[in-house]
Amino acid sequence: MAYEMIMKPMTFKITWKDGLVITPWERPIGPTHGPSDPSLPSGSPVKDALDLAQDVPHSPLDQFAIKSFLDMRVGYLYISFTNPTFFMLLTLGLVFLLFHLVTKKGGGKSVPNAWQSLVELIYDFVPNLVNEQIGGHVKQKFFPCISVTFTFSLFCNLQGMIPYSFIVTSHFLITLGLSFSIFIGITLVGFQRNGLHFLSFSLPAGVPLPLAPFLVLLELIPHSFRALSSGIRLFANMMAGHSSVKILSGSAWTMLCMNDLFYFIGDLGPLCLVLALTGLELGVAISQAHVSTISICIYLNDATNLHQTFFIVIFL
Amino acid sequence: MLEGAKSMGAGAATIASAGAAVGIGNVFSSLIHSVARNPSLAKQLFGYAILGFALTEAIALFALMMVFLILFVF
Repeated sequence: MAYEMIMKPMTFKITWKDGLVITPWERPIGPTHGPSDPSLPSGSPVKDALDLAQDVPHSPLDQFAIKSFLDMRVGYLYISFTNPTFFMLLTLGLVFLLFHLVTKKGGGKSVPNAWQSLVELIYDFVPNLVNEQIGGHVKQKFFPCISVTFTFSLFCNLQGMIPYSFIVTSHFLITLGLSFSIFIGITLVGFQRNGLHFLSFSLPAGVPLPLAPFLVLLELIPHSFRALSSGIRLFANMMAGHSSVKILSGSAWTMLCMNDLFYFIGDLGPLCLVLALTGLELGVAISQAHVSTISICIYLNDATNLHQTFFIVIFL
Repeated sequence: MLEGAKSMGAGAATIASAGAAVGIGNVFSSLIHSVARNPSLAKQLFGYAILGFALTEAIALFALMMVFLILFVF
């Protein structure tokens, strides 16, 4: 089966073993569900809970499945309209709607209401980061790019907290694509601004010359690791957090139904744990957007200023 | 047997969060020390501490991601 899927990639339909025919974008998730364990007594809440759980996905990683809404192919490329596409557009739409509703009719009032304060908070967050991290005189040129990156990752993370929604940043394809692109951009900016002197970044001051080539080559490894680490940090946080909440909430549902007298007055412990974990997830969503933006600012500082510090001013 | 091996691998991979626990304790211990030295900077130092916490927690979540990978993908 796997052999056929690899060796015949252009097959539009795939036939699975019990005659189920799917397109390559779909994948049957786990074994087909039957009734629960027949040794359970037939009136018990445990059996009922397990029977009710038949139509939820079998694995906690199935919430990250990419389904396509509209299949489109151009030769060998699949440019389908998928789950992440829809939710990224939804995020963009929500951000634009929020910013528009706050700033219409001439740009808001001078005594802000709550929505305007929120938008001002999100907007003002990035210049503080940029001013603090990037020394020198060229900092404000990078503000739009960093602001968009921060707002995008913040709203994508927060939107994933809505139940039954899809977390765009929980796929490393998306976060690695973002961080690799930004890292390539930072390297290009470094070469454009400093010429070949950019390579002196990897050589600390006062190193004897015979050691220099070895040190430069060795420095390339942590330098290129930065691109990977930014993307993977965001991806791992979102994926692991949501998988944990999924696993714990499955256990919480089972425990809630464990009472023989009434439903939903079972054990409340795992449910409180799910509540606490969701609160932590909200904090992690905001803080991971902050961390990825601040690390981009640090890399930009290293690329444009090459270990020099003109002045150190702390804003925050 | 594969299920047993997966569970064992997942259990072994969770040990990595011990290092992350030590790291997070270190960050907040430094926060307490530095606020005790200079309480007027408490707000800014707390911001730095939350940044350090997020970065250290990321390593724990790398380990958790490997656990889920071992349990549910392989």
